[in-house]
Amino acid sequence: MNHHRAGRLLSAYVDSELTAAETRAVQEHLLDCADCRNAYENLRAMRELLAGLPPAEPPAEFWAGIRGPVLRARAAAAGAPEEGLRAAWAFARERLRSWVVVRRPGWALAAVLVVLALAALPLVKGTVDRLHATEIGVDLYVHDHALQMGSTPLVDRAYVGLVAGDAELVIAGETPRPAGDAAR
Amino acid sequence: MMRLAANAMTAALVLAIAGAALAAPFVPPAPPTQAAPATPSPRAIFKMALEAPRLIDYEGTKIITALRNGRMETVTVAESHKRPNLLRLEYLSPEDVAGRVIIDDGTTARHYEPALNMLFEDRSMQDPAAAASFTLLARNYDIVLLGTDEVIGRQAYVLSLTPHGTGVQRQLWVDRLTGTVLRSEDRDASRGLVLTTYFSRISFSLNLPEAYFRYRPPAGTRVVAMQTVAGGTMNPADLQQQVGFPVLVPPALPEGYTFRGGAVSRFGSLVSAYLRYSDGGNIISFFEAPAGSIGWPTLGVPVRVQSQPGRFIDLGYLRVLIWEQRGLRITAVGTAPSETLMLVAGQLIAGREQAMVTDVSRRAETDPETVRQLRSQGLTFPEIARTVAISRALGTSVETTVRFVHGTLSVTDLATQLRMQPDALRAAVRRAVDTASLTPALPASAPSGLPAGSAKP
Repeated sequence: MNHHRAGRLLSAYVDSELTAAETRAVQEHLLDCADCRNAYENLRAMRELLAGLPPAEPPAEFWAGIRGPVLRARAAAAGAPEEGLRAAWAFARERLRSWVVVRRPGWALAAVLVVLALAALPLVKGTVDRLHATEIGVDLYVHDHALQMGSTPLVDRAYVGLVAGDAELVIAGETPRPAGDAAR
Repeated sequence: MMRLAANAMTAALVLAIAGAALAAPFVPPAPPTQAAPATPSPRAIFKMALEAPRLIDYEGTKIITALRNGRMETVTVAESHKRPNLLRLEYLSPEDVAGRVIIDDGTTARHYEPALNMLFEDRSMQDPAAAASFTLLARNYDIVLLGTDEVIGRQAYVLSLTPHGTGVQRQLWVDRLTGTVLRSEDRDASRGLVLTTYFSRISFSLNLPEAYFRYRPPAGTRVVAMQTVAGGTMNPADLQQQVGFPVLVPPALPEGYTFRGGAVSRFGSLVSAYLRYSDGGNIISFFEAPAGSIGWPTLGVPVRVQSQPGRFIDLGYLRVLIWEQRGLRITAVGTAPSETLMLVAGQLIAGREQAMVTDVSRRAETDPETVRQLRSQGLTFPEIARTVAISRALGTSVETTVRFVHGTLSVTDLATQLRMQPDALRAAVRRAVDTASLTPALPASAPSGLPAGSAKP
């Protein structure tokens, strides 16, 4: 997948709206493209920001507008309670939808994003794990190999400690030490 | 009164003797009258060096010069050892490692990094089974005594360890009196000297206190558990059950390399099967993980392995080759030359497992199930052919022969079991291996170091 196409699909990828094949293609591209990784991280951060918005109290007239009709419907449907409740719930749902979408579009967007974020969480976590494994994989393997060198007779343990210690720092997220001190 | 006088006379006598001794000129001890002891054999010197840590305490300053990312790097470290297995390493220079402390008690290694105030707890760098690798090393290396030399004023035997196959060649300067390795040099066939170590100062028999080998990190230290490898002696079949994905076993390796154990390597969500092969002096590690769990690193250069994409990373002393096949990302780490790693990878990618099982079972005149079973124990195809031939010639069980081929059973021990002379056993093994047609159908471009019917037990 080329860079421009991946860029266009990134938002849909964050929202988990892509097909499985497109998702895989975007993931592969993310592993190789630092720019897209940055864009992806920005999108993810924005979604988290929205998810972190504080809850707001609805205005007083909202509840008044709902409670009255519900009570009236319940009283009218004393002989047919199921029908009455269904009617009350349909009314309340309609009022809620129109209030949220029309009067509080920000809330609606935030709610949609939160739902999408929850749905996409396993996918995002898998991708982040994979990116992390890519960063530390070689050092992890070098670390394990270096420690195994201890099973070799008369291997220099100070050198083994140096190699394993350097790898541990990278695995812990630190910058690798610069190359040696004299050109060969 | 009499007792006081007697005590005074005793004291005067002791003082007089001590004074006379101090005043007397130093007389060197007379040379021994018997003939000087003969120089020990290279193997005896090597064994003395293996035994030394159990018998000797020391404290010294060591200089390490190693090839790292294309440049030579010099590191200074204060190294202290208390028998049998306490080790303290304090890195002094260069600046980016200065202050690093590693303390290893034979079970756990604790690495403290002062700049980060972090403590890494890991398994020990010291393997009590290292001495057992001597059988394998002695089988696969020419151990030669080059002579004696002086290192920081001490007499040392100079030993050369040259692998019959491929890998790093070593020279060791072994202290004549204590067996401690005072200096070492590792040479790579293509790049020359890749690692040197030497003590610039060393003191023995200091009776270092045990407290010196305990480390109490400063307050607020972040402790990181680094026990990434578990179950170090599993065979590939058991390993496959543990990790839940197919574990591939290399069909052939350079001469002398044999399976030394499998393990699960875990870090976060990354789970890898770890197979290690050794010739007694060098190790090749294979790490296998599902391709989806790890991407390509940015380090190194892209390569093609049997037309498959791969990546080669030259770290200096160690080389790393990464490639992908059958949904697995495989990483090989070792000191073997890059061509050897590429060839081993190519053979794995060729994926001719079933054809080779059939071919080897036909050549070795054994059933394919036996070949498959031995493959599941980590044996390469040449090793399987050799195992079957030796088992048949000596009348030993397959299990015993596998231990012999793996080097965990020495010639002497097997000869004792069979009530044979070691030389007679060697000759019988050589005949068995030579008369059998042991060259499996490997790719035509097999490396020169690959076993081709010539076992050196």
